[in-house]
Amino acid sequence: MATALRASNEKKWHEQYPELGTGPIPIEPYVSREYFEKERALIFRKVWLNAGRVEQIPNPGDYFVKDLAVLQTSILIVRGKDGAIRAFHNMCAHRGNKLVADTGGTCRGLFTCKFHGWAYALDGSLSHIADEASFFDLNKADLGMTPIAVDTWEGFVFINVDPHPAESLRDYLGEIGTGFVGYPFGELSAELFFWQTEIKANWKVVKDAFQEVWHIPTLHHKTIPNVFSDAVNKYGHALNFTLYPRHGRISLGGNYERKPTTVESFALRYGSGATVIKHASINPPKGVNPMRDPRWATDGNALFPNCLMYVSERSYLTHIFWPLAENRTLWEARFYYPKAKTLAERFSQEYAKVILRDINMEDGSTLERTQTMLASGAKTEIVLQDQELLIRQHHKVAEEYISAGRQDR
Amino acid sequence: MAERQLPAAFAELESFIDWSLATERERTARRQTIGMAAIKAFYDAMVARLDEILKYLNDFPQESAPDDVRRLFFMTLSLAEVAPAVENFGQPGVVDGYEYTRFVPVHD
Repeated sequence: MATALRASNEKKWHEQYPELGTGPIPIEPYVSREYFEKERALIFRKVWLNAGRVEQIPNPGDYFVKDLAVLQTSILIVRGKDGAIRAFHNMCAHRGNKLVADTGGTCRGLFTCKFHGWAYALDGSLSHIADEASFFDLNKADLGMTPIAVDTWEGFVFINVDPHPAESLRDYLGEIGTGFVGYPFGELSAELFFWQTEIKANWKVVKDAFQEVWHIPTLHHKTIPNVFSDAVNKYGHALNFTLYPRHGRISLGGNYERKPTTVESFALRYGSGATVIKHASINPPKGVNPMRDPRWATDGNALFPNCLMYVSERSYLTHIFWPLAENRTLWEARFYYPKAKTLAERFSQEYAKVILRDINMEDGSTLERTQTMLASGAKTEIVLQDQELLIRQHHKVAEEYISAGRQDR
Repeated sequence: MAERQLPAAFAELESFIDWSLATERERTARRQTIGMAAIKAFYDAMVARLDEILKYLNDFPQESAPDDVRRLFFMTLSLAEVAPAVENFGQPGVVDGYEYTRFVPVHD
């Protein structure tokens, strides 16, 4: 047997974070329309949210649109002639039509409203008013698209719809953000596999499933039962947890003794594709494998409120959960790999992508059933164990935002 | 005589050419609808030659492979698609899984 991972009888992680408590968690945040409206107003409309990557809009005029029900708006994100990325409410100032109806592309000239032909430049300014002489006392300078705060971190485009964000993106991410300096997000974003699904579950039910891994030996027993566990560490306990004021990280050790399947063993020979790859870096950025543990396989980084980013040595993946209602979520799963140098390496990535996708399908059906029962009213609380620390942290941070927002009124 | 579709060294795989599919959507749809016997026949034929196939494909960059090589490459992507059906689930779809048509690939 390989080096043993942390055993279940060791000190509990919750002892390091006594402010989180150890009690049960109310079910109300998972099922209540009223709570959902609080999350919308006091969390999602106040914080920085991961909307995409710079590779989606490499050149001036490139744009993409995010329709975000939780923000009750559509957002147009565009790279200007000056190379700067800007974000706007995707709305014409005339009678309010949604300005850009598609989901992305390249704007060669102006964004033109399909209703009456008003047209806007890439910087959001109103450039052309059709039949201008028939309007009254218009000041074009006041009629540009309404801007939204936008900034980038490590190539991720974040937006904040608060007209006056309480803090910069850099401050919002804090220490977990600076820990990734030097990680090759750009290079590893060459091959993107991206799925979307509308799942009938609260967004936190979905998020919770991806911020603990001890369900893997049970739920994923047909696919990757022992990828993070072995005979000693049978529940796949983490190597480490690190909590920041809002965000958190779970570090996982890989079981490199596990026997791959036939096709997986071929995928392993040709590079990036397998469920766990033993890392070889001598010195990754300080926020990656923070304990410098030789058993390390991947870190799950929970960026409050709705983004999880699993970072391995030569690939990463994100899950972003966009609430649609208290019991519906747009779940976006993205797996990122470096450019495959050969067709054999691309096969290797395909194997990894397919097995990870199928594993997500095992989660999806379970999560919808969970939502059904949470909504039954049969119980008012759920309980969490030590490995579910990030779930507990989410609830604490959310409560802080909600109670702080109440006091602001 | 049908025109050769695959590199000559892999001629015996010509009968599986319908698995040469360019998109995940097509590969997933075939896996989910064709039945386990056809999946297993394709899997066995590909695995028997996989060592040589991957050595062969490892000489080609993604951008500049001839059409016959690309068709063989797409067959390996179909093998990746059906591998979990054979190796993990023993049935075409994910056991007790989410409806596959709802998990929509945006990359195709």
